[in-house]
Amino acid sequence: MTLHRAESADSAEAPAVELRGIVKRFATLLANDHVDLSAAPGEIHALMGENGAGKSTLMSVLYGMVQPDEGTISLAGQPMSFASPAEAIAAGIGMVQQGFALFDSLSVSDNVIFGAEPTRRGLLDRRAARAGVTELIERHELRLRPDDRVGDLPVGVRQQVEILKLLYRRARVLVLDEPTAVLTPAETDRLFAVLRDLAGQGHTVLLVTHKLHEVTAVSDNVTVLRDGRVTLSAPTSATDRAKLATAMTGRDVDLDRVYPPGRPGEEALSVRGLTVRDRGRTLLDDMSLSVRAGEIVGIAGVAGNGQNELVAAIAGLLESDAGAVLVGDRDISDLGVRDRRAAGIAYIPEDRGDVGAAPGARLADNLAVGFHRRPPLLRRGLLRPGEFRRHAERIIERFDVRAPGPAAPMRTLSGGNQQKAILGRELAHEAPVLLVEQPTRGVDIAAVVDIHTELIAYRDAGHAVLLVSAELSEILGLADRILVMYEGRIVARFGKDEADVNVIGMAMAGAAL
Amino acid sequence: MNNLRAVSFTVLAALLLGGLLLGATGADPLTAYWSIVEGAFGPDGIPDTLAYAVPVVGMATALAIPLRAGLVNLGGEGQLVLGAISAIAVGLQVPGPLGIVAALAAGVLAGGAYAAAAALCETRLGVPLLVTTLLLSYPAMSLAAYLVRFPMRDPGSSLPQSGQLPPDVRLPVLAGSGVTVGLFLIAAAAVAFAVVDARTPAGFEARVTGWGPRFAEYAGIERPRLTLRLLFCSGGLAGLVGAVVVLGFPYRFIDGALITPQYTWIGLLAALLAFASPLGTVIAALFFAALTSGGFAMERATQVPRELTAVLQAVLILFLAATTGVLRKRRRTV
Amino acid sequence: MIDAALFSSALGALAPILFAALAGALCQRAGVFNIALEGTMLVGCFAGVAGSWYTGSVWLGVLTAMLAGTVYSLIVATGVVTFGADAIVLGVAANLLAVGLTSYLIQTVFGSRGTFSDPGLAGLDPVEIPVLDRIPVIGEILSGHSVLVYLSWLAVVAFAVVLYRHPWGLRLRGVGERPEAAASLGVPVDRYRYGVILVGGALCGLAGAQLALGNVTLFSENMTAGRGWIAVVAVLLGRALPYGVLAAAVLFGLAEAFGFRLQGLGLPQQLTDAAPYVVTLVALFVFSARVRARRVVTRGTE
Repeated sequence: MTLHRAESADSAEAPAVELRGIVKRFATLLANDHVDLSAAPGEIHALMGENGAGKSTLMSVLYGMVQPDEGTISLAGQPMSFASPAEAIAAGIGMVQQGFALFDSLSVSDNVIFGAEPTRRGLLDRRAARAGVTELIERHELRLRPDDRVGDLPVGVRQQVEILKLLYRRARVLVLDEPTAVLTPAETDRLFAVLRDLAGQGHTVLLVTHKLHEVTAVSDNVTVLRDGRVTLSAPTSATDRAKLATAMTGRDVDLDRVYPPGRPGEEALSVRGLTVRDRGRTLLDDMSLSVRAGEIVGIAGVAGNGQNELVAAIAGLLESDAGAVLVGDRDISDLGVRDRRAAGIAYIPEDRGDVGAAPGARLADNLAVGFHRRPPLLRRGLLRPGEFRRHAERIIERFDVRAPGPAAPMRTLSGGNQQKAILGRELAHEAPVLLVEQPTRGVDIAAVVDIHTELIAYRDAGHAVLLVSAELSEILGLADRILVMYEGRIVARFGKDEADVNVIGMAMAGAAL
Repeated sequence: MNNLRAVSFTVLAALLLGGLLLGATGADPLTAYWSIVEGAFGPDGIPDTLAYAVPVVGMATALAIPLRAGLVNLGGEGQLVLGAISAIAVGLQVPGPLGIVAALAAGVLAGGAYAAAAALCETRLGVPLLVTTLLLSYPAMSLAAYLVRFPMRDPGSSLPQSGQLPPDVRLPVLAGSGVTVGLFLIAAAAVAFAVVDARTPAGFEARVTGWGPRFAEYAGIERPRLTLRLLFCSGGLAGLVGAVVVLGFPYRFIDGALITPQYTWIGLLAALLAFASPLGTVIAALFFAALTSGGFAMERATQVPRELTAVLQAVLILFLAATTGVLRKRRRTV
Repeated sequence: MIDAALFSSALGALAPILFAALAGALCQRAGVFNIALEGTMLVGCFAGVAGSWYTGSVWLGVLTAMLAGTVYSLIVATGVVTFGADAIVLGVAANLLAVGLTSYLIQTVFGSRGTFSDPGLAGLDPVEIPVLDRIPVIGEILSGHSVLVYLSWLAVVAFAVVLYRHPWGLRLRGVGERPEAAASLGVPVDRYRYGVILVGGALCGLAGAQLALGNVTLFSENMTAGRGWIAVVAVLLGRALPYGVLAAAVLFGLAEAFGFRLQGLGLPQQLTDAAPYVVTLVALFVFSARVRARRVVTRGTE
């Protein structure tokens, strides 16, 4: 049910980019089903959709990484076909991928010229490279130095390196895939200012995102995909958040669900003066906090400001240089991961595929981890396969995990169901303290609601929850208290009622309050 | 089922390529292949196959043990040789049935301790296990080569070999074959590996580590301890294989006799190709053993040098490795 | 104990390892863990001897070795890059195949078992470098090696220049560090990987040629005797840096030459054979003890 396309402002001019009737199948999956999308020069066009809706496939088609089964691509009215990214780049398309495509060990300048290096007598011409890069930095007023090593740069700055790469290649069509996932509100504003500026100079920007407020904030037109089809295509001014959400999910979604506050009891987790250093850098600086039973404490902050280290140090995965961690009255600072878990810590990590689960292993085995050294899974020294299955079935049913069965490999589940399985396994421990990182990253909206409901229920059952999330809205929705981390320290603390997006945003950027 | 079809196809393709190779050397491929089958499984062949299978299955299982947790032990040769030379050293000193037990135990301890040392080098000093096991292997082989040339040399022989074990310190031979009861020891080890792997927490934790080291760490599995234990078991079994071999005919340590047949590398490949699954490893190792003992028969029947079976074997392995690669790739993209 | 002859023989001993280690470093830089160096080198040894024997020209022998190494490394290249097979499995299998193949060929081609040597087999002649060979000590050390020894030093420099000063090197480093990022910038990752493995094969062929036609003039079964593995270790020890690999290879060459010297003093060869491995291991301990101070942070900070 393709709705009519929004006409570009100047219909006499050919669209800068036009995709028509794109079809792409992967085995049995129809990833793109006759998708149309067109954007005029100087337009910022948002492409929305949930995970698996076909956004990434569509952009891969445009960028020459995937060949469409049907459909045409044209740039400025000229039909094109791209057999590889190199050809798409040559035609003026540039893409910033989610999670970046940068080389940490190389300098800004080397990253920018990578793949399009200026040479002199057969060798790299670093001087010409640096001059070209410097010129672009100045023209677009970016805050970059060509000789800095990319690995040393903050995330927001790396984003600018990515954009610089596209400009260096004279890209006219810029595709940005979820560019704000790792940015502070201020960095996001800064990025949007740069994008508007580029659009003003005639570039076309395709912004792939799942954040409704970004679409309304920056885009001229919007296209929404669901299950590989276009469900909405309109000028942004003609839509609103509710319409967009409905187009994305196919049903009405309660976007602004409000949960009742928790009823905090005894202190369940306390962290005292925790410090972690690595190669001269202080990652966690004399950190103290406490979480009481029956409350959720949210940690806000830009990725890379010590949140990972805080949680890892509490869980025992990272050695700390000073400080103590207590569960109830018990000091667990000297214990290993296993003993800490036994002392009452459950943990849902950020990285599902590598840390939280083994994608290649069976669901039953994934769910058995942590339960395999006690009855009923273990009896008389031997593991019982039947109990493995029953244990998995209990979690699958209780947490509504959609899976073919306990023997299915974890990787065959969707992201949301993998996350629900991990959540189920960790909640099933009934540990007094739960550590949660990015519980809904890469999860579809329906699963987000389920996961949030489970976390609230777990809190209301009298457990302490420490929540780390890059989604400020998630923290604001769930947390009873909010702590903001910046450069390894807590720089601000808010109660549920006194929290304000702008103030928190400033604290995340390190502004003194 | 899909996998089985792919693997059968691979084996066929390799056989075809081997047939071409055989044809190129002037031999009749069908005769050659038949002589391999007869040599491996015929009434005269089975004892040979079993005799060769004992060390290959033993080494394959030994190397599969750490591989289950994703740890590659490249030092099997050193552990094997060290186990063998220790068993001889003890067997020549301790008389009677006690000598057999002591010699086997010495083999297990020597191989196990040596592999454990490599594990400690990784967990304490941070040198990758792959490198420590490999590098430690060569000094062990050099040491054994030195020992059988000088302090432990058989005075009655000009060859680099140790003295012969007295008749009461030899493993009993199974009736009508050259195979010793060592066969049962190795079989027992393979069964034990299968049971521990499938049904005990320790085996489960090794598998979890193999699925993902970071997942294992997150789940509270202590990698250093696991590494140390797995390597001790691995080296211990390799040492046992060495001991079993030298406690059988010709009842002495001959320099190079454990290295030249490539037991270790063939065993490692069997384990790698079977993804270290206990049963799969044994099957793959038996298959390679049959191919090798068949190769000797083929040499006798067709004058084609038996090294050609080593070539066939390697070609087959390359094809299998490529197939498993494709299978893995396909699984990942779906 | 320590004199010019020791260093001179160290330079001969290290050349094959240096070639092979450069091959390994090249592959490592592109993200391919190549452990087939041992087998490829052995094939190079055989091809070098066979080429020299049948053409009567040692240079055609060297060329044959390079070609054979390149062709042989196609096994690893297709297996790992095209089929996505496990590099360790393929490496071990390729090494086994090399042992089997060369043992088989020495019988069918030369009709001998174990070793082939003949006074008529042309080997590499030492090159006396004018002027340099007059200088005492230094001349004795640096002059009088085979051309391939000098070529191996040039290869280190060439590797360094390409890696840091040529677009290929920049792309290669990118391919090794983040292949998907390199691909998204239009760099053909698979082609780069094929390239390094095949060039590595040619380098291993040179290593084999130096071993079989330079250090000695014969072919014997399994004559590489673990040198390819030492090269693998040298790559790790030298962190795949051009001069790091050189330093690691020098260390090994010195250890081997020193072991040889100890033999002259009456120590049994079997014990001195272990010297290079022990020295390498100790070097790794010392090296990694320094690195170990750096704690491994359990996850990225991105």
